[in-house]
Amino acid sequence: MSVTRPLRAALAGNPNVGKTSLFNELTGSRHKVGNYAGVTVETREGAVAGRWQPTRPLVIVDLPGTYSLTPVSEDEAVAFRCLHGEVGEPPDLVVLVVDAANLARNLYLAMQLCELGLPLVLALNMMDVAAEAGVPVDAEALSRALGVPVVPTVARTGAGVAELVASVGRFGHEPWDMSEVRGRLMTATLPAMGKMGELAEVGPARARWLLAAQAGGTLELTGATQAERAALSGLDAAAVVTAAGELVIARYAEVDRVLAEIGHRGGERAPAMDRSARIDRVLTHRVWGLLIFVLVMASLFQSIFSWAEPLMGVIEAGITWLSAHTKALLGPGLFTDLVTEGVIAGVGNVLVFVPQIALLFLFIGLLEDTGYMARAAFLIDRLMARVGLHGKAFVPLLSGYACAIPAILGTRTISSFRDRLVTIMMIPFMSCSARLPVYVLLISALFDGEARVGPFSQASLVLLLMYALSTVSALAVGAIYKRTLLRSPTPPLVLELPPYRLPRLRDTLLHVYDRTADFVRDAGTVILAMTVVLWALLSFPRPPEAQAPHDAIAVRESAIGYSIGGRVGKAMEPALEPMGQDFRMGIAILGSFAAREVFVSTLGLVYGIEADDEDNVPLRDALRDAKQPDGQRRYSSLSALALMVFFVYACQCMSTLAVVRRETRSWRWPLLMFTSMTALAYVAAVLVFQVGRLLGYG
Amino acid sequence: MSASLADLGPGARARVAAVEGGGGLMLRLLEMGFVPGTVVTLVKRAPFGDPLEFQVRGCHVSLRAAEAGCIRTVPA
Repeated sequence: MSVTRPLRAALAGNPNVGKTSLFNELTGSRHKVGNYAGVTVETREGAVAGRWQPTRPLVIVDLPGTYSLTPVSEDEAVAFRCLHGEVGEPPDLVVLVVDAANLARNLYLAMQLCELGLPLVLALNMMDVAAEAGVPVDAEALSRALGVPVVPTVARTGAGVAELVASVGRFGHEPWDMSEVRGRLMTATLPAMGKMGELAEVGPARARWLLAAQAGGTLELTGATQAERAALSGLDAAAVVTAAGELVIARYAEVDRVLAEIGHRGGERAPAMDRSARIDRVLTHRVWGLLIFVLVMASLFQSIFSWAEPLMGVIEAGITWLSAHTKALLGPGLFTDLVTEGVIAGVGNVLVFVPQIALLFLFIGLLEDTGYMARAAFLIDRLMARVGLHGKAFVPLLSGYACAIPAILGTRTISSFRDRLVTIMMIPFMSCSARLPVYVLLISALFDGEARVGPFSQASLVLLLMYALSTVSALAVGAIYKRTLLRSPTPPLVLELPPYRLPRLRDTLLHVYDRTADFVRDAGTVILAMTVVLWALLSFPRPPEAQAPHDAIAVRESAIGYSIGGRVGKAMEPALEPMGQDFRMGIAILGSFAAREVFVSTLGLVYGIEADDEDNVPLRDALRDAKQPDGQRRYSSLSALALMVFFVYACQCMSTLAVVRRETRSWRWPLLMFTSMTALAYVAAVLVFQVGRLLGYG
Repeated sequence: MSASLADLGPGARARVAAVEGGGGLMLRLLEMGFVPGTVVTLVKRAPFGDPLEFQVRGCHVSLRAAEAGCIRTVPA
C-alpha cells in the first residue's frame, strides 16, 4: 500500500442504528455529498476529523442504511456494488454499525459482509440503550465469536469513537480472522450453491448475490454481465428461489449460533421497544393515533404553506431591492434589463424555494429521526395501497399542495425507484400555492361575488372544486402510471417501526443543509438559465422606437406583443379560442411558465397595468370590463373556469421540470411530464368551454 | 390450508413454518427475520384494519395482511 493513499473504510449498517450520528461524529460533520453514476442514491464521504487523532489518514464512505445486501432495492444494490469495488474506489475495510439492543436482526448484515471477505470492525452502538433495556452485550465475547474487533460506542455522545478510530487504524497490524465464521457460512450455504453449477465461477459472494437478485426478479439492479445473465437464465427458476431462501436461513442460523455462544438473551423479546410500545398505544391508536396524525400533517403543511411565507417575502424584497439598485446604478438599457429581469430575477426564482425546501426537510428529518415517519406510513398505508403506493408516499404528496419543488425532493424517502417516479409524476397535479393567485384573480374578476349556493358563496365553491379536481386527478394519474408505463406490483410494506428516539438536532440540520445546498447548486443553475431564456423570449425583438405609440399603456402592450413570446401568443390564438381564451391570455400563459403566479404580472404587462399577486384590483377590473370589438365581454365565467382547469393540469413550472431532471437524472421524465400535462390541460380546458357553451353558459 | 401470520389475533404468538410466495417479497420477509422456527407476536392492527404490526427477533415490523398471509405458521 502506498503511503499517500488514505485507508478507506465503508460505513455500513441497518437504518435507525445511529449510523448518521456516527458518521457526523467521525468526520466532524465535514463531508462531501455525491451520487453514484446513473443512480439517485446519495453518498457521503469524509476524512476522519483530527480530534480523534487517527494514526493514519482515514476516509469514511457512508453507505446507504440497509437491512441486507440482497439487491431488493436500489439502496442495497449500491451498497453491495460499492463494497465489491464495482462503483467508486473499493474500500479497504468495513465498519459495521449495529444496534446493541437488537443483535438478533442486526447481525444478519454482518454475515453477508463476512461472505464478502472484507475485513470488518463492529461498532456496537447504543450500548447505553442495551444496558438500560436489560440486554447488555459482552463485547469481548462477541469479538471472539466473530473473530473481528468489536468496539462499544454511543454515537450520540461520541463515547467510544476514539477507540473505534484507533481500532480501524490498527488494520493490517493485527491479525483479524473471520475465517471460522466465514468457513461455516460458506459450508452451510454450499448445498444451496452446489445446485447452481457454473455460477460458482464468478466468485462465491457475487454468485450468492446474483442468485438472490435472480430469485427476487431484480437483476436489473445488479449490473450483471452478459455471461452472468446467461449462467443465471440456464437455472431452474424454482430451484433458484429455494436456494436464495436457504441462503438467508443459513445466515440466521449462524447469527443464532453466535448469540448462543456469547450467552446473549435477546432473541424473541424486544426489550428496547418497551417504552415505544407504550407510546404507540396512543400514537397508533385507532382514534387518538389518527387524530394526532391529522394534527402532525396539518402542521407540516402549515409550515411549508404559511410559515415559509415571511422568509420568502424577505427574499423577494431583497431581490426587488437589489434589482432597483442595479437599475439605478447601471441606468436604463438592454444590459440592465438582462441583469435585473434575467439574472437577478432568476436567482430570486431559485432562492425563493429555499425556505420551503428547508422547512420540509427539517420536518421530514425530525419525523424520520424520531421514528414517527414509520408510524405515519403504518397509519395511512391502507389508503395509499389503493393507488398502489407505499405509505411513505403520503408526505411528499401532501407537500405538493404547498409546492411541488420540495415535495419532489422529498420523494427520496421512497426506496423503490419506480414508485418514486410514480409519486414524482403525481406531485405536479396537486394544487400548489402558486396556482392560488391565478385562481383568486380569475374568480374575483369573472365570477359573481354575491352569488351563493346554499350557505356557501359561489366563489369559494369554485375554488374548492379546483382543489378537488387536482386531488382526484393526481390519484388517478398515479393509478394509471402504476398500471402502464411504471407497472410494478404494490411495493411490499415490510416496514420496521423503530424505537422512538430524541433526534439529534445537529444531524437533522446538517441533512437539511445538504439537501438545500444540493437544490441551489444543481436544479438552481437550470432554473436560472431558463429564467434568462424566458426573459429573452418576452423581450426580443424590441419594437422599433418610431412605431411606438405615445401613450405609456400602449407602449407596454406593444413591447411584449412585439416580442417572440408575444408573437407566439398571437399565433396560438386559433388554438386558444376553443378553450375560450385570446392571445392576451396566451402570452400570460407563456409567461407563467417561469412560475404560475407570474401569470398575474404578465397579464398585467399585456394590459399595461402594474399588478402582482398581492394587489390585483386594477387588473381584475380590466378583465371584467374588457370588451370585444362587437361590444360583448371578452371573458366570461365559463372562459375563466376553462382557464382554471387548464392551470389545474398544465405543468406551468420550469422549476418543477428542473427538479424532476435532477431527481431522475434524465430529461426524459420532465419532457414526458410537460407534454402529457400540457396536452391534458388543453383537452380538459377545451372540453369545459365547449360543453359549457353547449349547455348554454358563457 | 394451514394457518398464516395474518390469522393471528392481537397479542397472539405463532412459530414461522415457511415463507411462501417466492420472489423479492419472500426474500425480504426472510431477511427481516421471519425465518422458519422464529416465534412471532402480533402487536396490533392499524386503525383501518391493515397493515399489521409484528414483533419478530427483537424488533417491530409492519406487514400488510396480504404479505403476512405468505408466512405459514404452526402454534408456538
